[in-house]
Amino acid sequence: MSILQKIKNTVRSRSIHVSYVDVGSCNGCDIEVLACLAPRYDIEQYGIYVHNNPREADVLLVIGSVTPQWVDKLRDIWDKIPEPKVAVAIGNCPISGCVYARRGTLTSPPVEKYIPIAAQVPGCPPRPTEILNAILSVAPLIFKDYEEKQP
Amino acid sequence: MRSFVYYVREFLRPEWIRKFFFARTAPLETPSYFKGYPTRTEKECTGCFSCMMICPAPGAIAVLRKKDEWGPEVYPGHCIRCGLCVEACPEGVLSSGRILDVTDRDRTAFASWYHLEVDDNLCMRCGNCCVSCPVNRQIDPQLAGTGTSASDEVIMRIEGGRVRILHMEKCTGCTTCETQCPNRAIRVARMVEGVQLPEAEA
Repeated sequence: MSILQKIKNTVRSRSIHVSYVDVGSCNGCDIEVLACLAPRYDIEQYGIYVHNNPREADVLLVIGSVTPQWVDKLRDIWDKIPEPKVAVAIGNCPISGCVYARRGTLTSPPVEKYIPIAAQVPGCPPRPTEILNAILSVAPLIFKDYEEKQP
Repeated sequence: MRSFVYYVREFLRPEWIRKFFFARTAPLETPSYFKGYPTRTEKECTGCFSCMMICPAPGAIAVLRKKDEWGPEVYPGHCIRCGLCVEACPEGVLSSGRILDVTDRDRTAFASWYHLEVDDNLCMRCGNCCVSCPVNRQIDPQLAGTGTSASDEVIMRIEGGRVRILHMEKCTGCTTCETQCPNRAIRVARMVEGVQLPEAEA
């Protein structure tokens, strides 16, 4: 392993930039994600920074069952994120549609149909600790030795 | 000047520097009373489907038969962790957080019954519902044809040219009447209500 790679690993483990997108949920999961920012959970002490620009992000938190308006836009957002990138599904909605998975609703879950999802956090809504654990456990898997893993 | 020196000295203390740069909240543990996904207790499931019927999330719980044994199965991607299945189960097969302790302490439970309703505008008095009902048939084997009956114990009978429901509480919710009704006039609904059981005799 080159020294450059080591430096990259160290830096990336302490600087995970997260962007979240709500593709049609009830806002419950948004509130839980925002609770991660609050002093009680405080994700910045783990080196995770939340901001809403996909071009600066490493991790995309996808919230909500997919509504028709989001189908193409979600793909655009995913394409804008620079490599290495990872998408995490937050809550039941991106996994199964949760309470929206009924006849007559304008949703088309799961979100895996549109973008590749690396981790899922089930729950309606998931607890902030669960979101935090998911990000912290999936980020090293993707970002560590990213350049060496490339074919 | 003195305050300036004071601040510099204060901020150069190793303890202060350590606290300032490496402060961390303690890792948060999930308290034991948080409602997690329902887990099985060692109680035996009778396959009454109370949990499935009360579940508000689509596809979250299924009562499956495995090796001659009924048992509920919870699907994490669908479950919303409301804990209603835990409360609704009469046997206490599922457990989540402290729900079982609280229901035991407060003696709360869900009572369920079946509500029958006949829309008189749609009903054409054929008596199919009264004749097809298996409970009716058991109570009054004579009941046939037009759905009239001499017995007062039947769930429903035709009286004076219209369906009269006598004993709604005997309904088992099989919905045979619903399927046999040509006009969808009769409807069976499962009603659930939270109740507090009387105090146990000491």
